[in-house]
Amino acid sequence: MEYLRSAIASIKQNKGRTLLTMLGIIIGIASVITILSIGNGMKAYVNSSLDDMAGGGITINIDPKKTDRYLEVDQLLRIKEAVPDVLGITISIGTSGSILTGRDELFTGITGGMPDMINEFKDGMHAGRFLREDDVESASAVCVISQRDAILLFKTDDVLGKNFTLYIGPKSAEMTVTGVLKSSPQEVESAKRVLKEQEAAYYWSEMYVPYTLLTSKFGLSGDKITSFKFYTSPGIADETALKVKSVTENILDIRGESAVKIQSFASIAGTYTSVLNVVTLVVAMIAAISLVVGGIGVMNIMTVTVTERTREIGIRKSLGARTSYILLQFLTESALITLIGGMIGMLMGFLFTRIVGNFMSFPPVISPENVLMVVTISVVDGLFFGIYPARRAAKLDPIEALRQE
Amino acid sequence: MSALVEVRDICKVYNPGENEVRALDHVSLTIDEGEFVAIIGQSGSGKSTLMNMLGCLDTPTSGKYLLHGIDVSHMTDDEQSDVRNREIGFIFQGFNLIQSLTALENVELPLMYRGVSKKKRRELSIAALEHVGLGKRMTHKPTELSGGQQQRVAIARAIAQAPPILLADEPTGNLDSGSSREIIATIKNLHAEGRTVILITHDPGIAKQAKRIITISDGRIANDEINPDFTSDVPVKIEKAIEASASSEENEASETNTAVKENTSNEENKDTEVNTASEAETEEKAVEANTGIDANTEGKAEEKAEE
Repeated sequence: MEYLRSAIASIKQNKGRTLLTMLGIIIGIASVITILSIGNGMKAYVNSSLDDMAGGGITINIDPKKTDRYLEVDQLLRIKEAVPDVLGITISIGTSGSILTGRDELFTGITGGMPDMINEFKDGMHAGRFLREDDVESASAVCVISQRDAILLFKTDDVLGKNFTLYIGPKSAEMTVTGVLKSSPQEVESAKRVLKEQEAAYYWSEMYVPYTLLTSKFGLSGDKITSFKFYTSPGIADETALKVKSVTENILDIRGESAVKIQSFASIAGTYTSVLNVVTLVVAMIAAISLVVGGIGVMNIMTVTVTERTREIGIRKSLGARTSYILLQFLTESALITLIGGMIGMLMGFLFTRIVGNFMSFPPVISPENVLMVVTISVVDGLFFGIYPARRAAKLDPIEALRQE
Repeated sequence: MSALVEVRDICKVYNPGENEVRALDHVSLTIDEGEFVAIIGQSGSGKSTLMNMLGCLDTPTSGKYLLHGIDVSHMTDDEQSDVRNREIGFIFQGFNLIQSLTALENVELPLMYRGVSKKKRRELSIAALEHVGLGKRMTHKPTELSGGQQQRVAIARAIAQAPPILLADEPTGNLDSGSSREIIATIKNLHAEGRTVILITHDPGIAKQAKRIITISDGRIANDEINPDFTSDVPVKIEKAIEASASSEENEASETNTAVKENTSNEENKDTEVNTASEAETEEKAVEANTGIDANTEGKAEEKAEE
């Protein structure tokens, strides 16, 4: 307590120069906070967009280099039955083609799937229905598109029963829209905006059709399943994936050949996150150099303070202050300087984060751990760089010190 | 029973080798409890070194310093700090108050280092300040006090922790004659109350106030005698006298004593260097009038000396 009082008194006495000394720490902490917040924001953004993309689905691949075996459709359904945590399972065949609407030729991604693919769309249907068993069985020429794509393709989301021609390579089919997936309000807005601004829009759309349509009408291979997708509850994704993998290996009788690979979006997200972590850390380290510079500034000013207060130190020692008391007194002062600097830096960091956030497509995230870490760092900074001047003060010879004017 | 202070054959040598300086050359001396000793010597005689030694601020090159029979001359820094804190009350020439602290906080410092609780040390400090007649100036910073008052704060600081030894190093060196008398009277009074006082000075006039005078020259004790002129006539009411002067200083507006007023204003505005000889004289008279009994005692002492 006494140390703190003395430190506050001393800082108050030299407000101007203490503030200047703090600048280094302020800038350092502010930039570290800003960078970490942006890094966190980026991570959260990447994760959530990957989540959106994957719908939490996990893809299982059978490596054609390791085995020539493949699954049949009924075997797929057996996997679903064997692992109760699997909420849905589907073939997923991807290709691309184009749509002719009026005079525009628009490109589109086409995914051939099964009814269980509905699990991918958490927001559910805007209108109509998703693919059904009978669509798959009869290879019906029906498709499901998103609300956003409906607006872009047909300039309205009231498109149930609309017909258009789909081309994949030289082949074509007359398609009917049977369902519209709900899009987020932002996506709907931006689609409407694009429509207003551009007459002929070139954008990418995505539609979902029965996989049998692709295999029968367009001649894509699909009966030999070497890749499929399943859906499960978020918390148990990893263990379920292992179960599915093991069941698949059993069915194909290829145990121990590591031919079955799990490719979850969660693991992709994990890779992205760790890369981002490294990048954030490196940039934060560079910013932290200013903390070292700031610390040296504190060391400098504390040395000046000790020199100025030599006589006071002499008096204190003559009155019986132990070495440790003098040491702690000056360490408290330097730690307090960096702590205050750290606090100001933190506030400035929050401010920068807000400003920067306005120019970015994702919101920066300030995590409490980072704030705690930064406060700790600033105190440690002050203690570390305060050691030299404080030791100098503590080691002063009282006779010499008292002789000082 | 061992003596309070026992110095045995102490030497302090600076720059050992060719240009060595023997600040203290085989000095031995004993001081008992309750003594009032003046150590007198010219500058360079080694008296400051001796005082540093007695104050546990310095360690001898050879020899021993026993305090209560315990050798304190070869202790670690921290042990010496503790000894200083417990055993010695310092009164310095330059007052050595910490400018950023109030009078009360300055007095509290050594008690704080000793680990006395906040409440207790406040009590002790207030008592000490009242003892030297500064009960009404406790919240003043040193710069707001006159030289004499600052030295009284230093005395309060020295006595607040009730150390066995009071070590006064030229306590009046920075003071005008009026304040000097006050301080000397205060110190004499502290001795009369039973404290052991060691007074270091170069001024024979000041040394004469002590009961025993040790003369030091060229690092050796040249003379050690009981002061024949010492008067046990103690200015018992010194505090009251000081208190009176302190309170009148505070009520400067009141038209009590013009002499006191002059004295006070002179003391507080030291920058205005208008001290012509006659003015200094009136000032002295004013102080004599002001400090009443104290001045009388000193007058008597001086008369005796003249005889």
